[in-house]
Amino acid sequence: MPSPVVHAGVAFLVGVGLLGTYYDRRALLVIVGLLLVPEIDTLAGLVLEGAHRSLLHTLLLPISLAPLLYWDTVREESWLRDRVGGYGVRLAWVGLFVHVFVQIGLDWSHLDGVNLFYPLLDRFFKLDGEAYLSTADGFVQTFVEIGTNPETGSPRVDVGQGGTTETTHVANPAQPSKEPEPGPVDRRAPIAVRGWQLFLVVAGLVTVAAKHLQGAPPEAE
Amino acid sequence: MPPTLVTVAVGVLLGVALLGPAFDRRSLAVVALVAALPDLDALLSLWIRGATNAALHTVFIPAAAAAVLYWDTRRERSWLRARYGWYGVRVAWVAVAVYAVAGIGLDLFNVSSAAVVYPASDRYFSIVGKLVLSTQDGVVQSYVAFGDGWLEHLTRGTTDTRHVETWVNPTPGTSNPPDAARTIRLFDAGWQVVVVATAVAAVPARAVVARRDR
Repeated sequence: MPSPVVHAGVAFLVGVGLLGTYYDRRALLVIVGLLLVPEIDTLAGLVLEGAHRSLLHTLLLPISLAPLLYWDTVREESWLRDRVGGYGVRLAWVGLFVHVFVQIGLDWSHLDGVNLFYPLLDRFFKLDGEAYLSTADGFVQTFVEIGTNPETGSPRVDVGQGGTTETTHVANPAQPSKEPEPGPVDRRAPIAVRGWQLFLVVAGLVTVAAKHLQGAPPEAE
Repeated sequence: MPPTLVTVAVGVLLGVALLGPAFDRRSLAVVALVAALPDLDALLSLWIRGATNAALHTVFIPAAAAAVLYWDTRRERSWLRARYGWYGVRVAWVAVAVYAVAGIGLDLFNVSSAAVVYPASDRYFSIVGKLVLSTQDGVVQSYVAFGDGWLEHLTRGTTDTRHVETWVNPTPGTSNPPDAARTIRLFDAGWQVVVVATAVAAVPARAVVARRDR
């Protein structure tokens, strides 16, 4: 995954606006805390093969949570609102938004991608490609490639599907490689890799700093 | 440069975050336009050699804008406030931030680089590398390299030696052959799709939030 630091940076960028009047330091911390929960599947990978980026990075989780959250919060006697009030309801929605777009989204485009529909369909997907308009080739995009299989001649759609939990291992500090190697183990925890990841972290920090500098709007309006 | 589409998306995300009560269709349009503005220096490069990622990607522009804005809004009779009120002041400050962070920053943190102190220096800078914690090698950092008393890895040549290719000006120099191949980049990588999708989803989400908060 792009590291939790990068996730947190983008979460700041997105969260500040979506928290709205409920924005405060605690709310930001809770959002970042919520983002760490799905990373538990890193540890699950130690006991369940290929669990990292499968177990808690599946889209099925937010897909089932969102209607549940909606159903509960439009009710007259909402279970969640009774307990944590409007503040908690807002945090839940922002947390879900950030989880889907920032966490699953960024991981989807990173390394081996994400096992999007686990456990219904055990297959890693990776968002990879480019898109451009050119005078020579017209519109070109390589994210979704439709072609024929050179071996069998049958039509094939390539949306970046890779291996399964059995064949794919996404390296992480808890489990650097699938099979233990002889010699000292190098556990690597990336903070930021490449310019854009550092940029997103910086942009998130700038956003929070700018938010603190902003004055309150006049009462009259 | 990273595709203008991505720059605009980052600008919109910043707008969603910082416009606050000034968030509406008009202010968001202003912010999106401002994010795209620096990329217009590609057009200037048809007259000024090497203007791409330089002429409008210099920090002097947002710095000057911020100084003027600060001076005006501190006055008793602020021109901006008299004309557009609190709304105008907020949108103006967010626009300055978006110009600097999305418009210039995204290029600076990319191999395409930006000449951020142009015209004081016509050198292109780019902050790329990695920061990794390793149990074997400790802290591995390659964003900034110190050597010979100067930040080494940062520079990518000058406006004379380096040409930043754009669809407006695909070949080095100020003129192009009539049959030059032109390419408008939309997405260079998967993460850029994610950023654009996030921006597209964040705008209606922010609108819902604004309605609830009222």
